[in-house]
Amino acid sequence: MSIKDILSPFSGWKKVFDEPVVVKDPVNDRPGAPRYRGFHRNDIATCIGCGTCETICENEAIDLVPVQGIETRDGDSGLRPRVDYGRCCWCALCVDVCTTGSLTLSNAYIWVDEDPGVYRFTPGVDDMPWQREEKGWKKPEGNYEFYSLKREPMEHLRPEERNDSFAEMVRGFSKEQAMREADRCVECGICVATCPAHMGIPEYIRAVRDDDMERGLKILYDTNPLPEICGRICTHKCETVCSIGHRGEPVSIRWLKRYIADQNPSEKYKQILETGVLDKNGKKVAIIGSGPAGLSAAHYLSLMGYECTIYEKLPKTGGMMRFGIPEYRLPYDQIDKDIDYILSLGVHIIYNTTVGKDITLDQLKRDYDAVFAATGLHQGRSTRIEGTDHRHVYQATDLLRKVTLGEEIHVGRRIVVIGGGNVAMDITRTLARLQRLKYGEVRIITTSLETEDAMPADSEEVVGSREEGATVIPGWAPRKIDIAEDEIKGLHVVQCLSLFDEKGAFNPQCNFDNHRFFEGDMIVESIGQGMDLVYLTEGIKEHLEMTPRGRIRVDDYFQSSIPWLFFGGDIIQGPDVIHGIANGHKAARGIDRFLSGTADKQQTT
Amino acid sequence: MEQLLDRIIAGFEAADIEKRKDGQVFFTVPKPKVLPLINHLKMFEGFRNLILMTAVDWIEDNQFQITYLLNNPDTKTDLGIRTFIGRDGEGMDSIHELWGHAATFQREMKEMFGIGFPGSPRVDEPFLLEGWDDIPPMRREFDTKKYSEETYFPRPGRETHDPATYMKQKLYPND
Repeated sequence: MSIKDILSPFSGWKKVFDEPVVVKDPVNDRPGAPRYRGFHRNDIATCIGCGTCETICENEAIDLVPVQGIETRDGDSGLRPRVDYGRCCWCALCVDVCTTGSLTLSNAYIWVDEDPGVYRFTPGVDDMPWQREEKGWKKPEGNYEFYSLKREPMEHLRPEERNDSFAEMVRGFSKEQAMREADRCVECGICVATCPAHMGIPEYIRAVRDDDMERGLKILYDTNPLPEICGRICTHKCETVCSIGHRGEPVSIRWLKRYIADQNPSEKYKQILETGVLDKNGKKVAIIGSGPAGLSAAHYLSLMGYECTIYEKLPKTGGMMRFGIPEYRLPYDQIDKDIDYILSLGVHIIYNTTVGKDITLDQLKRDYDAVFAATGLHQGRSTRIEGTDHRHVYQATDLLRKVTLGEEIHVGRRIVVIGGGNVAMDITRTLARLQRLKYGEVRIITTSLETEDAMPADSEEVVGSREEGATVIPGWAPRKIDIAEDEIKGLHVVQCLSLFDEKGAFNPQCNFDNHRFFEGDMIVESIGQGMDLVYLTEGIKEHLEMTPRGRIRVDDYFQSSIPWLFFGGDIIQGPDVIHGIANGHKAARGIDRFLSGTADKQQTT
Repeated sequence: MEQLLDRIIAGFEAADIEKRKDGQVFFTVPKPKVLPLINHLKMFEGFRNLILMTAVDWIEDNQFQITYLLNNPDTKTDLGIRTFIGRDGEGMDSIHELWGHAATFQREMKEMFGIGFPGSPRVDEPFLLEGWDDIPPMRREFDTKKYSEETYFPRPGRETHDPATYMKQKLYPND
């Protein structure tokens, strides 16, 4: 042993008053770097429980769990991610893929506890000190994305190409466009609950991605037998809740559905859908109306073996789809493609026959085992302001029906349309085309009670109307039609301040000092439609239960208080095509429960 | 820097020149030019430091990319040298004779990607993955999730819910 070995332990004493190089309190004095990937944070008010974080996690560290106080509702599953730190590797893929941007990592990385159970918690729900920590990992903005935030653009005919013709405006996706758009879907399935028909949206988008159009068509027909139609004019509520829509543009679900239907030729439908031979069960169902609800019911009942007969008062099928929606939005050949397939399943159809006039409901009761009435809303409602009894005041639905039937209609030089819904836009754009063909110019004013942001019409319809030359002036209430020498001179309107009172009842309030006059020689009313139930005989009405608001009362399966009589479509729910389709499907199952006597046993099918 | 790049392009067939920020340039050279180039940079151009070596698996192209990051402390410049080799056991020349610590990077790449560096010290010994009995985990055909499922037991009491199924139960159970 040398002298150095003896003295060296004491040499450290000379540093006793130096600044220490070790950290006394590493928990507080050794924070992670500003972008360190530490424990998770979640802004649970922004999170929608889409589960994309769980799906991407390579270590299965994330579970989606219900959280007290967070309700399941449209667009929010009510679930929130729980992280198991026995598995998490802090790769932050969950953060980078998060559709809402709610999930982040704090830079806290030190946490010591003897209980392994605590290393599993629900960020943002279980109170952790780092939830309020500013620093940590957030997905860098504008740097990289796991899915495109931008939609694949859909090509439309330009206004000058379309404004004097009824050619279809929307061109549809090419294969490459559809694949790119399908690639934006994260398959979370949040949209399924919002779709009235609860279509298998993630599954059919996956079929697009896999380029398996036959599988795609099968998935569509599981819940929707009118995919060409819905792929064009569905109100696409699903897209309003799409998780990708939180940070970017929602996936174009409707156009992808159309793409699948467009790719499958009608002559292959029976082979793909395996409906070449259908066993019959010997029971018969009468359906009143060949709109979406009636056709949907006929489709699913036929698959179950029922012999279906549709009574249609007009010379063609489709109801509002054909007679209410203009051809430029929904071409007739596409309506026929969907409907011809349904009729090919053995569905009989009797045209030009009005139930209640040409045949009674009692007769149907005698001839069939059950009746499904889906007669829709065809009677236009009037504003009933002064002057509406003039011969050049029309109902939008009447005009649209006549245009479809090829009948001549009156087209004024200057037209005022009253209404802010899609039907109002449909008649505006139809009349704009007819005006351009007849007079070479468009002079239409469309006005609505609702202000621009509250108009019920789809914004693309309002934009399209304007592009085609119509003037849309929302926020005005009609007061009186000005008539001189038996000719319409125009419409007096006053500013509309609000539509509903504090109880939520329809009660428009106006500023009568703010007055305008819209010149015109023809007025079209499009403020909503009512139902025509003249086919209900007194004997039936006596037994039919109604709701306090005057609607027919039906149960979950659209069965009325008269067991053999079912109601669905716009007269019960909607009005729109997809609700009609969903109603028809559910009513078909209801009729099957009723006729097969399984209503009590079969709670869900 | 421009003159240096001209010399590298002329002498070593550098392509895909990418100026990332002040004093940092990335480029690609063919595999046979890598060792001569790195030798040249160290001996004659002042790039005395090897900052790191790493690899990327371009499985679609059946190639590995190897990247060398070199630094010249005098001029404060970095060069990122990329090269591509076949994925199927082709291997790469070792540079441990130039920098001793290159052996550590090479050992890591052998373990994580299966890229061979013949002659590199201890290159076949485990680096991080003691007792690893699967394919190298950074190769893209390695299924991390499957491995997790097979290797780690689920913690008792864990449960999860599929959002669409859960929403059906809550919002429309009878449809």
